[in-house]
Amino acid sequence: MEIDLDAILLTFSAETEERLGEMEEALIALEVYPEDEKPLEAIFRGAHTIKGNAASLGFSPVAKFAHAFEELLQRFRSRAVTVTRERITLLLRSVDALRQMVPEAITGAEELRPEHSALLQQLATGNPSGATEEPVTVSAGTVHRSKPFGRRREDFQAWMEGTGTIRVDTQKLDRMLNLAGEIAVAHGRLQEALETRAQEGKEALEAQGLVERLSLDLQEQIMKARMVPIGPIFRQYIRMVRDVAQATGKVARLAMGGESVEIDLSVVEHLKDPLTHMIRNALDHGIETPEIRQAQGKDRCGLITLSASHDGANIVIQVKDDGAGLSRERIVERARSLGMIAEPEKLADQDLYQFIFEPGFSTAETITDISGRGVGMDVVRRNIEALRGSVNIDSQRGRGTTITIRLPLTLAIIDGFGVGVGDETYVVPMHTVLECLQLPAEEQHQGNRFGVINLRGEPLPYVRLRDWFDIPGSRRNRENIVVVAVDCVKAGLVVDSLLGARQTIIKPLGEKFKDVRGIAGSAILGNGRVALIVDVQGLLRDVIRSQGDTAAQPAEHYRADVIRTGDNNLPQCDQMGAT
Amino acid sequence: MNEMENGLEQTQYLTFQLAGEEYAIGILQVKEIIAYGTLTKVPQTPRSIRGVINLRGNVVPVVDLALKFGLPPSPITDRSCVIIVETNPEGEKIVIGLVADSVSQVIDLPAQDILPAPAFGTHIRLDFLRGMGKAGQKFVLVLDIDKVLSAEDTAVTGGPNNPHPEAPLNKDAAHPDQ
Repeated sequence: MEIDLDAILLTFSAETEERLGEMEEALIALEVYPEDEKPLEAIFRGAHTIKGNAASLGFSPVAKFAHAFEELLQRFRSRAVTVTRERITLLLRSVDALRQMVPEAITGAEELRPEHSALLQQLATGNPSGATEEPVTVSAGTVHRSKPFGRRREDFQAWMEGTGTIRVDTQKLDRMLNLAGEIAVAHGRLQEALETRAQEGKEALEAQGLVERLSLDLQEQIMKARMVPIGPIFRQYIRMVRDVAQATGKVARLAMGGESVEIDLSVVEHLKDPLTHMIRNALDHGIETPEIRQAQGKDRCGLITLSASHDGANIVIQVKDDGAGLSRERIVERARSLGMIAEPEKLADQDLYQFIFEPGFSTAETITDISGRGVGMDVVRRNIEALRGSVNIDSQRGRGTTITIRLPLTLAIIDGFGVGVGDETYVVPMHTVLECLQLPAEEQHQGNRFGVINLRGEPLPYVRLRDWFDIPGSRRNRENIVVVAVDCVKAGLVVDSLLGARQTIIKPLGEKFKDVRGIAGSAILGNGRVALIVDVQGLLRDVIRSQGDTAAQPAEHYRADVIRTGDNNLPQCDQMGAT
Repeated sequence: MNEMENGLEQTQYLTFQLAGEEYAIGILQVKEIIAYGTLTKVPQTPRSIRGVINLRGNVVPVVDLALKFGLPPSPITDRSCVIIVETNPEGEKIVIGLVADSVSQVIDLPAQDILPAPAFGTHIRLDFLRGMGKAGQKFVLVLDIDKVLSAEDTAVTGGPNNPHPEAPLNKDAAHPDQ
């Protein structure tokens, strides 16, 4: 039988990575509940599997290390040694060591690194300082050197049954998705052709309808294959919370909710950095020291909660801490000293909190390794906006801060509203659209690039897409206005015709167009043509900026712009991200 | 494809007509030739980018070389077509369409038949040319398509009505600074 060694090694490496993640999590649980046997058992199983797999592949240093790891756990189990924070730290460091060791072993390392050997000694003695002179000898009997692949089958079998998943290259999924989209387009053409020969084509038309439904189902299934549960992403932060809390002299733990909520693979990548920054901020600025917490009658151990839930076509992710909350005074003071706005104290809490997303805006008195440079929250906002999402902050003095992120379910499909301008079709993301109406006749005659209409007693500013995007052709007699809202701004986009709602697959426009503003990407229509997706947020930002320039106002900060412009004609909404 | 290009000297070229001149590009860079269909115009792009098309599910930009060379735009006729080429200007594979008034033929041009372009008279930038190819009695302009497509004016310049020609570009999302 042919053995595909590469595939086995890949599986081994991926599986070990998974196991180590689980062990890390269980170790932290063990630290909190040393009496609980469940985490101990979980760590034990993990170490045992790694040992077995490593041994069966002939990676004896890894197997030896995992064995020593297992031995220490055995001594926990038999109560020979007690669970201490130092020993947990030692085991966590050993997990890190195993993480380094596995790829090294795969690429041919036959010896442990000196620092790993030192760790091995400490594991063997069960003494983190490594001071004891009598190392426990590792019995060689458990290491199956002679039969490289002897134990492969049952171990991998167990793993396969445990997860019931396969790993698929995302590029393959992308290609499948492209094809599914193309099938849909081809069907559109076929249907058109059949419809023109209505009589004789009736039966064929029905068959065509069936194929179309099937291909839409296929498209949906491929989309779903791209979705992964958010739990493993959340769990990566358990370790971080522990380590950062220790480094800052605090005690905190991470609670999680909604771990089974699924998100698109492409969202995962953009979510990691923002979550890191928010959690670090929560620990450094939010959670108080155990002494202060106790004095205030709170639990000594701070609590950070990461949760995910569905809300319509959105995913809501919350990062919540039970710390000190944001200091309104400090933000007001900082906003004033940076000259961002004349009278910050007049702003509502919601609007004021938005300042913490500004680059360079930090109220921390000292810069630490963890945070305080005023970069993190800026990264959060930019990443989330790039995902077509919104960020909202809620905070109560002394009770804690909650940051709520709203994201579209998938980045690959967009619920859009089609509009026609000249010969072109543009797609406006549905979550920004409030309503559509006909442009009043008097505004039609004026025909300026910008204007204001009376929308049920409220002034609504608008921009003509035809002029803004320089679309050739002459203006229609009847124009329509799409009312959109994003961030704090409500505005109208004047277009020629309204084509209705549609779901489309988003296609990136590519390098050549990376500098184009006001366009978020493109979508392929049923007739095979390409339509551009409007980046409503970016577009309105540019429109406001261009207006600010003509009024000779300094336009240094977008937020400040919005707030200023909001005074004259842009109605502000009460809540950020009113979508 | 690249291995072939390196290992084997490229001698086959596709020739096409554009604004009354005959141009040639290496056949290995040509992926396919399609009829000129409906394009979607992208705002705030240089005039030489005519728009984008859907090529079997991928969105591909279409460039009008005439505009790029500073010549009047190609009038669209029944014979107009789009030559889909693959270029590698900065190590990254880019697929781009080129508008041609008509496609002529595939010719053999051994290296010795490609002469250096004269210092003037060809009315396109010299660095866009690999040379002048001797095809029978006449010359064809052999293009260095990587150079042509990576040349500066492909960047966003903004039309006369562009309200924000030098506004900072929206690269934020792509470069979170940590």
